[in-house]
Amino acid sequence: MNVYDFIVKTGSGEDKSLADYRGKVLLIVNLATKCGFTPQLKELQELYDTYKNRGFEILGFPSDQFANQSPGTHDEIMQFCKLNYGVTFPVFAKGDVRDETAQPLYKYLTEQTKFAGFDMSHPVAQPLVDVLNEEFPDYLKGDGIKWNFTKFLIDREGNIVARFEPTTLPSAIAKEIEKLL
Amino acid sequence: MITVFGFEGCPYCVKTKRYLESRGVEYNYRDIELSAEAAAECQRISGDLTVPVTTVDGVNFVLGFDKRAIDELIASA
Repeated sequence: MNVYDFIVKTGSGEDKSLADYRGKVLLIVNLATKCGFTPQLKELQELYDTYKNRGFEILGFPSDQFANQSPGTHDEIMQFCKLNYGVTFPVFAKGDVRDETAQPLYKYLTEQTKFAGFDMSHPVAQPLVDVLNEEFPDYLKGDGIKWNFTKFLIDREGNIVARFEPTTLPSAIAKEIEKLL
Repeated sequence: MITVFGFEGCPYCVKTKRYLESRGVEYNYRDIELSAEAAAECQRISGDLTVPVTTVDGVNFVLGFDKRAIDELIASA
């Protein structure tokens, strides 16, 4: 079994088989498209622009399971939302990425990989851990998706090569992508 | 009249509206996701599609849920 066995929903509600991406290097990312950690969208788009002509694709999966709207820590990260970050890579239908309601692709991705901890040198790592402790303490347990912008790197044969937590910037993944291209 | 540009699902837009209401300030609300016209106007004012944008005259504006800046804007209105 690999990622090509999964069918996902496009933004317009149609089925899309990930087998259609056979032979490409993939980065599968759960997104907050409007608020939150969204500066990473800009870096993801830069990766996409750099490598798309060499067989690289980013697949974005929006989820509102991390829609933290409480006052306090999260407000310090960003106090506004942006409608369009100029993203041109495929963004699929909004869906769950953790717990029992997770879409099958995400159940598979998180069963096959381990949460290796956050990079605490990232400036928002500590605020993120604080928010999780306060509001989603269960999210810190196990290997489920912790927050938006968890990234899975897939090789040209559909195997999961690596999992990067939200605290790893897309730009830091560039050399891993290059190795697979 | 104050105008707030925002879209549904933007928590800071909700906070901005609630804050204006708490101050007893009347405002127009325009959703930039639902209205291309509102999006174009927002883009013209702030140069971006980032919200909330709060403005009185369509020239000076406050980006984000910044209470102190919104207070100053209200005072100037």
